[in-house]
Amino acid sequence: MQTVVADKRWAEKYPDIGTGPVAAEPLISPEHFELEREKIFRRTWLNIGRVEEIPNPGDYIAKDLTVCRASVLIIRGKDGAVRGFHNVCSHRGNKLVWDDKGTCKGTLTCGFHAWSYNTKGKLTWVPDEENFFDLPKCDLGLTPIHTEVFEGFIFIHLAERPPESLREYLGGVADQLEGGGFSQLALTGRYKVDEHANWKIALDAQNELYHLPFQHRRTIPEFCVLKDGKYTRLLDVRLFNHHSVYSSESHEGRVGPATEGLAAQFSLAETEYRLPRIGPFDFYTIFPNMALLLFRGVSHDFYMTYNFWPQAVDRTDWDIRLYFRPAENAGQRVGQEYFKCLLRDILQEDATAHEQIHIGLASRAKKKLYFQDEEMQIRYFHTVLERFYAEA
Amino acid sequence: MSAHTLPAEFADLESFVSWALATEHARTSKRLASSMEEIQAFYDRMSARVEAVTAYLNALPLDALPPEAERLFQMSLSLMEVANAVEMFQNPAVINGFDIKRFVPVEDV
Repeated sequence: MQTVVADKRWAEKYPDIGTGPVAAEPLISPEHFELEREKIFRRTWLNIGRVEEIPNPGDYIAKDLTVCRASVLIIRGKDGAVRGFHNVCSHRGNKLVWDDKGTCKGTLTCGFHAWSYNTKGKLTWVPDEENFFDLPKCDLGLTPIHTEVFEGFIFIHLAERPPESLREYLGGVADQLEGGGFSQLALTGRYKVDEHANWKIALDAQNELYHLPFQHRRTIPEFCVLKDGKYTRLLDVRLFNHHSVYSSESHEGRVGPATEGLAAQFSLAETEYRLPRIGPFDFYTIFPNMALLLFRGVSHDFYMTYNFWPQAVDRTDWDIRLYFRPAENAGQRVGQEYFKCLLRDILQEDATAHEQIHIGLASRAKKKLYFQDEEMQIRYFHTVLERFYAEA
Repeated sequence: MSAHTLPAEFADLESFVSWALATEHARTSKRLASSMEEIQAFYDRMSARVEAVTAYLNALPLDALPPEAERLFQMSLSLMEVANAVEMFQNPAVINGFDIKRFVPVEDV
């Protein structure tokens, strides 16, 4: 596949999405933030992490989902299965696990009165049990949360009955990524960014490349610039039910800085490892708050994930993770470090901009946003948002 | 610190051994605390030697580098850390970058 350098291709491909301006209000309004709690974050599959974080029985991760007013516990059972529970003790409602991750020998014990649960969430021990009155112990296990895994990515759904399975929910994204071999890469870098911006402002700002030659003029001015040597043109845009992907490439003759050349040289490996990419760079938006980025590496492809966790209408925890093939030698690891530091510095430029955009929009000086054709996938994201806001 | 902290064939890099730092957080902090002249001096010398360094290190097992080699390895990682300061920003920090107290590496390797 090769980039077709033309204008307005994506509106032509997806005429139903429209071309008009989009309302700015949902990006900054507390009312929309309240709507999102119930209508989006409790009605969609949410990525919590990866199975490699909990490789052994008894390993767990816990996460407070502020936007859902919930705390989630993901634990690998003695039987090897990955299960999710509300991280809440059945006795007095205390948060059961207080650390982000850990391991247990088969029992999790509440710090308040030591009520204890096994790795399947069953209540196994109540201190001074004889002094309780008709305690229905069998019904007092941890409250389960629907938890499913796709290609090692752990997702939860907080609805009592999710309207569709994770596989159905991911739809065309899963068709493209199934069997991708993500477990053969390992977490090599992770950043937590405390942003004073709305989660959708942050996500929207990442969900296009039009800004590259401008906002990233110091870092990657030439990346994906294919129109008249000035503007980006995407290789492909695909819209799925809820989700989207855009793909891009750079011109063949792009010359990076000297250290990039060294890093590329060090990254050479005897065997290639490839992810199921559409083009050299693919960016998936997995509704509502996850992005998955696939990169062509020299010999080994790599990938990143973003999870934008809303804390308040103007506050977001941006969880950034980078996954590389385990390095076979020091040179490969040094090469990975270059690309990691480059991406980190680029994302620092972005994070600063997210906050400035929030300040700008919060002034309500501008009521509408005008998207160009290269920003089609953002327009689509807002179409999906509107669909969820409007649901009963 | 002893006079010979690096393998003998890389003795010319001894004056930059303070860049041998184990974590990304430490390497970033040193980048931000250094002047552009200090960064440039390290970048120039290390860039000229990093191919030889890598060839040397690649002959050793990555997960069991001897201390002298480990320092060289960490200095190579520091070169990757400062490269953008020299090649892109001409400034220790990212221009229009983010407050690093709110952009925190959490799985530091």
